[in-house]
Amino acid sequence: MSILTKPTDSGLVEPLPVGTPQKSTWQRYRWILWVVVLGAALAFPYVVDRPRFWIPNIGIKSLWLGTIAMSLVFLNRYVGLLSLAQMTLAGIAAYGVGYMVVTLDQSVFLAVPVGILVGTVAGFLVALIAARTKAIYFLMITLAIGQVVYSFASQSIEVTNARRGLAPIPRPDLGVVDFAQLHIFYYGALAAAVLCYLLCRYVAATSFGLALQGIRDSPERMSALGYNVNRYRIAAMTFTAFIASIGGVIMVFDRAQVDPDVVSLSSTLDILVVAVIGGVGSLGGVFVGGIVLTLLDNFAQNVTERYMTLTGLVFIVVLLFAPTGLAGVGKQVVRALSTRRRAPQAPTAPDVPTPPGITDPSNERKQQ
Amino acid sequence: MDQFLLIALNGLTLGAVYFLVASGLTLIFGLMRVITMAHGTSYLLGGYLGYVVARETGNWFLGALGGAVAVGILGLLIHQLLIRRFQDDDMRVALITLGVSLIGTDLMLATFGGTATQVPLPPELQIGLELPGIGQYPLIRLLILAVSIAVGVGLWLFVNRTRFGSIVRAGVDDSQMTSATGINVRVVFALIFVLGSALAGFAGVVGGTLFPLLPGQDGTYLLFSLVVVIVGGMGSIPGAAIGAALVGLISQFSLVFAPTYSLVLTFALMVVVLAFRPQGILGRRTATA
Repeated sequence: MSILTKPTDSGLVEPLPVGTPQKSTWQRYRWILWVVVLGAALAFPYVVDRPRFWIPNIGIKSLWLGTIAMSLVFLNRYVGLLSLAQMTLAGIAAYGVGYMVVTLDQSVFLAVPVGILVGTVAGFLVALIAARTKAIYFLMITLAIGQVVYSFASQSIEVTNARRGLAPIPRPDLGVVDFAQLHIFYYGALAAAVLCYLLCRYVAATSFGLALQGIRDSPERMSALGYNVNRYRIAAMTFTAFIASIGGVIMVFDRAQVDPDVVSLSSTLDILVVAVIGGVGSLGGVFVGGIVLTLLDNFAQNVTERYMTLTGLVFIVVLLFAPTGLAGVGKQVVRALSTRRRAPQAPTAPDVPTPPGITDPSNERKQQ
Repeated sequence: MDQFLLIALNGLTLGAVYFLVASGLTLIFGLMRVITMAHGTSYLLGGYLGYVVARETGNWFLGALGGAVAVGILGLLIHQLLIRRFQDDDMRVALITLGVSLIGTDLMLATFGGTATQVPLPPELQIGLELPGIGQYPLIRLLILAVSIAVGVGLWLFVNRTRFGSIVRAGVDDSQMTSATGINVRVVFALIFVLGSALAGFAGVVGGTLFPLLPGQDGTYLLFSLVVVIVGGMGSIPGAAIGAALVGLISQFSLVFAPTYSLVLTFALMVVVLAFRPQGILGRRTATA
C-alpha cells in the first residue's frame, strides 16, 4: 500500500487518542481470565484421571506445539509474514540438543543453550534468503526450505543419523529439580511457554516491535522514514526462531529422541493447524489450538481412523467460516483482503500518516 | 561421456515430468494469481486413478485420459466450493488448499494403501531405442519428453496466441472491465483451474508410469513444482520449462555424484536463483515479488 493508493479505509481514519488506549470492559477484566487459565494449567497434573496419559500426550505436547505456533503467530501478526519454517527451526534446535547429548555426549547444561543457539542461527540464515520476498512467495519459500532440511535430516548419516534419528535424549535430573518426573517437566515446560508468551508481548510493545508493525502496514513509508525494512524483517524472524527453538527443546525432551519426522511436512502442517484453529484473538490462543489438536490426535481415533481427514476438515471449516476469529493467520487474511478487495474489511492500518513509534489505531485493536 | 549423456537424458526426462506438474501450477498462478497447495495431491490422485483405469481396461491411454478428466472434475469442485469466493485472497486460498492436501493425503493412504504401485505400460512401448552415444534407451522416456514439449508449446500458444488466452489475460489484469465487455470471467477462471488440475492429473499418470506411486509423493511433487515455478518465474510457461529442466538435471547429476545431498542441491539452486533474481529466471517483477 503506497501513500498514493486511494483511501479505501476512509471510514477508519477517525483519530483515536494516541498513547492512551481506551480500555474496554473486556480488557479491564481480562486478568480474571488469566488467573483462571493459569490456575487450570497449574492444577492440570493433579486433576486429570490418568496423569501418565494426560500430562505428556495433552499437556506437554500442547505446550510445545503452542510455543512453536506462537512464533508463527508473532511473525504473522506483527510482521505480516506467514512462515512455514517455524517447525523446521524448532526441529533444528531439537537436532542441536540431540547431537550434543547423543553424539558428543555432553551435559544438558551445554546441550540446551547450544540447541537454542543452533535453531536461532538457522532462523537467521533462513531469514537472509526468505526476507527478500513476502506474502505467498514467502510462504512457498519457507515451505521449500523446510523440505530441504527434511531431506537432509533423513539422508545425512553423519549428522542426523538419517531416518533412525538421535536417541536416547533423557530428561535430565538436575538435583534440585528432577525433570525426569513427568509433572516437574510439565511445570518446566509451562514456565518456558509462559515466559515465551510474555517475551513476545514485551517485544511487540518495544519500539522495535512497533517499527515491525509499521513495516507490516506500510513497508514503503517505513523505508522512506529511514528504517531498513529488510533488516527489521530479518531481526524479527531471528527472534521468532529463538521462540521456536525453545519449543523445539521442550519437544526433544518430551519425545526423548529426534528423528526426521519432527521436520516433515505433516509436522509443519500441524503447527499451521494449531495456529489457525487456536487463534482466537491473541498470541495465547495458540495453546487452545495445541489442546484441540492433541485432543483430536488422541481421541478422534475412537471415532474414526481418519484423524488427519478430520483435522483437515476442521482446518478448512475454520478458514472458511471463522477467519476473523483466527489470531495471526486471520489477520493476514484480512489484510490481504483489504488490500485487494473493494469492500473494506476489519480495520487494518488506514493509510493516514501516523508517525512511527507511536501507537497507531490498528495497535489498539491488537491489544485484545 | 556415455554416462554423461545418459545422465543428462535422464535428467531431461525427469524434468519433463516436473514440467507437466509445474505447468498446471504456473498456469493457474499466472492467470489467477492464486497458488493451489493441493497440486501435489492432484498429481498423486491422477496417478492412482490412471493406474486403476489402465489396470481395468488394459489401455494406458484410457488411464491417462481418466486420470486427467477425473482430477479436472475434482479441480472444478474445489474451485467452485472452496476457492471461488476467495479468488482475490491468495493467502487464504493457499491455506485452504493445504487443508485439502492434508485430507487428500489421508484418504489416498486409506484407499490405495502404503505400497508402491506403477501404472502398467503396454508391452509395445516397453522397448528400448538405440541412441548414438548412449546405447539402449527406453522409448517411453523419450515419448514422455516429446509429449511434455508438445504440451508446453501448446500451452504457450494457447495463452499467448488464442482469443481465449487473451480473454484470460485481460481477466487477470482487470476482471471488472473484462466482465463489462460481456465475458463471464468466472467461467474463464474455472476453466483455467480445471485445465491446471487436469494437467497435474495427467502428469500423475505419466509420472506413475516412469516411477512408482507412493504415499508422500503428493508432498514431494508439490514441493518440486513449487521449486520449478519459483526458479523459472511464477506464471511463466517457458520459465517453468527452464526450471523443470534445471531441477531434473541437477537432481540426476547429484544422484550420481553426491547421492546424499541430491535434494539439498536441488533446493540450493532455488536459493541461488532467489539471491540474484527474486522473481525467478523468466518472472515478471511484480509488487509482491
